[in-house]
Amino acid sequence: MAGPEDAGRERPVATGHRVFSADPEVGGDLAAVDWAATPLGPPEEWPQSLRTAVSILLSSRFPMWMAWGPDLTFFCNAAYRRDTLGQKYPRALGRPAREVWAEIWDDIGPRIDTVLATGEATWDEALRLFLQRSGYPEESYHTFSYSPLWDDAGAVVGMLCVVSEDTERVIGERRMATLRDLGSDPSVIRTEQEVMAFAARQLGRNPYDLPFTLTYLFGDDGSARLAGSSGVRLPHPVAPAVIAADATDPVWPVRALARGEAVPVSLEEAGVPDPPAGGWPEPPARALAVPLLRQGDTPHGFLVVGLNRYRLLDDGYRGFVELTAGHLAAGLASARSYRAQQRRAEELAELDRAKTTFFSNISHEFRTPLTLIMGPVEELRSRLAESDPRVREELEAIHRNGLRLGKLVNTLLDFSRIEAGRMRARYEPTDLAAFTAELAGVFRSAIDRAGLALRVDCDPVDEPVFIDRGMWEKVMLNLLGNALKFTFEGTIGVTVRREGGRAVVVVADTGIGVPREEVPRLFERFHRIENARSRSNEGSGIGLALVQELVGLHGGTITAESTEGEGTRFTIALPFGHAHLPADSVAPESADGKVSIAADPYVQEALRWLPADTSTGTATPVGPGQGAGVRAAGSAPDPRASCPTARARVLVADDNADMREYLTRILTGAGYEVATVTDGRQALDAIRRESRETRDREPFDLVVSDVMMPVLDGLRLVAEVRADPRTASVPVLLLSARAGQEASIEGLEAGADDYLVKPFAAAELLARARATIEMARLRSRQAHWRAALVDSLQEAFFVCDEQGAVVEINTAFTEILGYGPENLPYAPTHPWWPDAETDPEGHRRVGEAFEQLMGNPRGSYTIPLRHRDGHRLWVTATFARARDPETGNGVTVGTFRDVTAEHHAIQRETALAALSTGLAGAAGLHEALPAALGELRTLWSARRVLAAVFDDGDAPSLTDTDGEQWRELSVDQRRTLIDLRDQPPLTPVTHGTGIGILLEHPEGPLALWIELGERRPFTAEDQVLLSLLAGRLAQGLSRIHQIDQQRRTAIALQRAILGPSHLPDGFAVRYEPAGRPLEVGGDWYDTIALPDGRIGIVVGDCVGRGLEAATVMGQLRSACRALLLQDAGPAQTLMALDRFAAGIPGATCTTVFCGVLTPETGRLVYSSAGHPPGILARADGTTGLLDEGRSAPLAVRPGAERPEAECLVPARATLLLYTDGLVERRRRPLTTGIDQAGEAVQEGRDVAVDDLATRLMERLAPTGGYDDDVALLLYRHPAPLEMTFPAESSQLAPVRKALRSWLDQCELPPGTTQSVLVAAGEACANAIEHGHRDAPGKIVRLRAEAFVDDLRLTIADTGHWKTPQPELNTHRGRGVTLMRALMQQVTITPGPSGTTVDMHLRIA
Amino acid sequence: MTTSLTLTSGRRPDGRAQLAVTGEIDMSNIDTFARALDDVVGHLVVDLTEVGYLDSAGLSVLFARADRLELVISPLLEPVLTISGLTDLTTVHTTSPPEAPTGR
Repeated sequence: MAGPEDAGRERPVATGHRVFSADPEVGGDLAAVDWAATPLGPPEEWPQSLRTAVSILLSSRFPMWMAWGPDLTFFCNAAYRRDTLGQKYPRALGRPAREVWAEIWDDIGPRIDTVLATGEATWDEALRLFLQRSGYPEESYHTFSYSPLWDDAGAVVGMLCVVSEDTERVIGERRMATLRDLGSDPSVIRTEQEVMAFAARQLGRNPYDLPFTLTYLFGDDGSARLAGSSGVRLPHPVAPAVIAADATDPVWPVRALARGEAVPVSLEEAGVPDPPAGGWPEPPARALAVPLLRQGDTPHGFLVVGLNRYRLLDDGYRGFVELTAGHLAAGLASARSYRAQQRRAEELAELDRAKTTFFSNISHEFRTPLTLIMGPVEELRSRLAESDPRVREELEAIHRNGLRLGKLVNTLLDFSRIEAGRMRARYEPTDLAAFTAELAGVFRSAIDRAGLALRVDCDPVDEPVFIDRGMWEKVMLNLLGNALKFTFEGTIGVTVRREGGRAVVVVADTGIGVPREEVPRLFERFHRIENARSRSNEGSGIGLALVQELVGLHGGTITAESTEGEGTRFTIALPFGHAHLPADSVAPESADGKVSIAADPYVQEALRWLPADTSTGTATPVGPGQGAGVRAAGSAPDPRASCPTARARVLVADDNADMREYLTRILTGAGYEVATVTDGRQALDAIRRESRETRDREPFDLVVSDVMMPVLDGLRLVAEVRADPRTASVPVLLLSARAGQEASIEGLEAGADDYLVKPFAAAELLARARATIEMARLRSRQAHWRAALVDSLQEAFFVCDEQGAVVEINTAFTEILGYGPENLPYAPTHPWWPDAETDPEGHRRVGEAFEQLMGNPRGSYTIPLRHRDGHRLWVTATFARARDPETGNGVTVGTFRDVTAEHHAIQRETALAALSTGLAGAAGLHEALPAALGELRTLWSARRVLAAVFDDGDAPSLTDTDGEQWRELSVDQRRTLIDLRDQPPLTPVTHGTGIGILLEHPEGPLALWIELGERRPFTAEDQVLLSLLAGRLAQGLSRIHQIDQQRRTAIALQRAILGPSHLPDGFAVRYEPAGRPLEVGGDWYDTIALPDGRIGIVVGDCVGRGLEAATVMGQLRSACRALLLQDAGPAQTLMALDRFAAGIPGATCTTVFCGVLTPETGRLVYSSAGHPPGILARADGTTGLLDEGRSAPLAVRPGAERPEAECLVPARATLLLYTDGLVERRRRPLTTGIDQAGEAVQEGRDVAVDDLATRLMERLAPTGGYDDDVALLLYRHPAPLEMTFPAESSQLAPVRKALRSWLDQCELPPGTTQSVLVAAGEACANAIEHGHRDAPGKIVRLRAEAFVDDLRLTIADTGHWKTPQPELNTHRGRGVTLMRALMQQVTITPGPSGTTVDMHLRIA
Repeated sequence: MTTSLTLTSGRRPDGRAQLAVTGEIDMSNIDTFARALDDVVGHLVVDLTEVGYLDSAGLSVLFARADRLELVISPLLEPVLTISGLTDLTTVHTTSPPEAPTGR
């Protein structure tokens, strides 16, 4: 007999021979076989060897079958029946094995023959067999070993098969591989076609679960179009290219699918001939069509999968198909969203192209009118050369500016030509040195006039260079113009050399240079160096860019070197010859080697920058009719010596007409331009008007004013002029009839520059006028420069007085903020502050900044301001305190730089980054949304942010930064959110004090509401930002949702791969994949019920992650299992595993704990291959480690002996085995983790092992989840005792025996044991009595479980509890009394189907 | 299957009738046990020291004949006899335990 001492498993048999008694059920059926009709004969006559084999078979819980004798007569046990045999039972018993497994005999027959012939065992892993056990040929996988059976004489007469079915694992792995392949490249967003093609390739790799697949997409008209397929050769009747929406009797039920329903289809009924078979011999009989669901819309389309006819369409299969469809739908959604983005980008690019075309067109359009202007102007210039100088000057001005505009237009055209590749070049051999020197010469006069030296050093290069002369002119003139513009003293040099086989032209200056960081950007189009000191603020920033393009067309290069404050040096290198030029553009040398007319505009422009050139200024004299009472006086044709170097303009203010005429005559006679007014007010008006119109110089060079005048006298005029900073520096010469020192002091005190008493001589007036003008010029030279510099600033410039009023601004200020100098001064609060009413936050910021400006010597800040036209802009203000040298008052000078674009760009990037970070940190959808809302609230400093997801529930699910629920919202708030649903997605909608937007959430439309809390502008930029953020949020949520789904699938599949399906009593196991990134891995646990009742325990950890590691794990696990079943000890098993692992890539260095436990005694023999030590938590509260029997990980030292250790698991102790993922953390010694795990097990000594396993996994998990996968195995000794027995009194003794033996394992004192025995005995006796009374043969269950200080017994029967009636049945009543007296707590629960008695006893 | 029970009748050194019992007494064998007790008429010393298990079924047999029985038991059975009240009805001798019986 298998084990008379193994009382827990003893199952009395109702009938039959004792040989079958190890298992009542299968034994019973075996007993019923007519053995006499088989070659084996009646069981009484069987040899001992056969009896033993049958007993072992029946008592094993591991699936086994055996064949014996000449016909290989078939036996099997209950586990085999349950796992594998199916409907063949019980017919198979006693039949020849060949009949039983006829359908797979071709596979297994030869293996059995080998065993019988050689006596050597076979081993097959995951062999595919088609079993006919469930009414259809079923795809199944089995790992099994055939070992020989010997008769009493030692001859092989049969074989034993130990088998485990791997069907779930193998199919699970296969499906997981497909899903992983489908998701293997999620980062690359493709077009819809690419998504379909990729999916088809991946689906085609699994022709077993997916014999064929068809993907249809719905069109706008509801028809379905075939977009992808696998496993089918098109065209095929199964795959019509298009199915109309209203098709009658379509192959695939498009209408139901469009409604989102999944539909199984019988291919036969659908009338499809010869469906593709995929990887199978027979084609599918059925197909499953599932919709490709789309959030909040009709499905994208549907997926049809031909179903493997060798598997049932169970939940697992259906789930797999649906997940596959989910993957496709997600891929499509992402491709479509990408396509939409692409389209937007293309529209923007198109806009850009249109803009370029527009500029180029408009340049063209300019040329015609320009020509029509310039022609007549040239005509007029020659015709009127001798006429009125004023007319000539005006003509010159028109001419100069015409040239300048023409130059600009031509440059723009050059660009568009170069860009369009239409630049027509004519490269002709040229003496580069001579031509370049000539071009430099064109600039000589301008350079001379600027007080600079031009050094031309052009040695003839002995070889001609092929250049387009027009282009080369532009190159040189631009460079020279540039040099002149930025050089204030020193030299401009031009050299031509031969160097390294190339002609090298250098243009160098001793100008201001450019900062190092600007050098690389010199040739960038429209790039201008801010705040550079230059002769002119003119320029478009395209000259150098054009130069670079032109040099490039010549096959040359241009480089720039510059040192700030020392100068700049441009070096052009051109190749000789014409091999590098297009042949059709090369021409022979032309006769005309002269500089063309194109040079004119460059030189003209340069001349205008020069400071001495005031005579060519655009300002015109005050003419007749310009301003009330102002009358122009003619200017003398012959300037006299008394006029200052440049022609000066004088305003004469006198109420006496004769005096005016006299003064005018004297002054014009001396070469002055003169304007006259009749009183001080008119004078002031004229000065102010002029000051506005002539920004870059004094309004008048001199004001000659009488003191005594009506309306405004001379002294007050002087005071007014001095009071206005724009006019303060205008020199004033007062004339008075009053003589004497006092009068003159009064005049000078008022601020007049000089004072002349009437009558005066003409010479004296002219001398005083000249002196005053020259003095003033001298004095105001700095002021002029300053004004010129200030106005040349690209940044808005302002000066504040001590009260904070803005008293001076420049042109850029007006451009940026819209406020001009005419309304100066601007007192605080300045009109460009944001409105306190509509934008209190902006107003507050500017207020703070203003305080800073007034309170600090220098500083910088970025603030929002309001342009005069109302639009909002961001500026960076920089300011410094200074002292006005004239008044001695403190002033603050500052600049504003318009940073609106940068501000919004940075804000956008920051916001998007913050949102992305928020989403990335979330472990799932439930965390992602609150995190995102928090980010949004911070971003807009919003009072509150709400998100309502309209999923399928009764009420939308609400996420709220205030934490309220949907039903807690006000009616208005709900209405607002509900209304948002009707809005187009990603379009912001403002309402009251908030803004809302609709976006897609994986569970339905999401209405997002941002409650700003106070009235404040939500600008167009804000709206764009919100759209972007909402889009990013929708994408992020969808991605997280996808990861969630993949995670769930991966865990389910991994658990399906992991065994064992039947865990021995007393054990609990857990597996958890790594949290992030989600990865299954190579960790495993295993328990193996060995035939002799011992239990093999294995916990291992393969290196690496992912499916590959999982596959290695599967192989090692199976091998380890087989080795232990062959009765190898732990050390022996590991040594064999060393050899096995050496042959599997990726198996080296796997760590394994392998042990064999004798459950009766708690003896554990173990060996560890580099695995972390097991933890033993004893009942007395001490903890020990299983740290002996250690050696290297697998296959590191193949062939080396492995040690083995032994330990005794004491009663009620708990053993924990685990993989390092449970205890290993970064920056922490492993021992700390092991100690923690030990403590956790100790604390859980009084918890059932399964609950303890859950608790350990939770308690030891790091925040954010395990970052490596974890396998865990717990065993508590002894295992709970479980027995079932028929309700017969004869059962009492064996039950008692088993219970006594189990109690001994618990190491309880004899008295306690006796109490438990009697109490349990009473409960059992009672149960048996009920069983007899109600229906004999009912079953009684007994379960006993020991905790560290508690013993728990449960006895359940299927009868009714007998209420104690001592008068009728004295000893029954006594029984209950005994139970209650012996145990701490007794609970009797009668129920309709039986009675349960629960008993507790404290045993600590 | 019936629970193993060995019943040996004899006389004590003082001449009184004695029934020595070895094994376990439960529902399945109380009839045998009762018959053995009834085979002896009158006062009887029942030696239960070698009985490893006795439950309420066995107690009921003893209760029914309590007035003519005298019991010898090991300490193992003492709690059951005390709790049931049998010690109040009949004379019970407990053998001093030099070592705890194994119960087997």
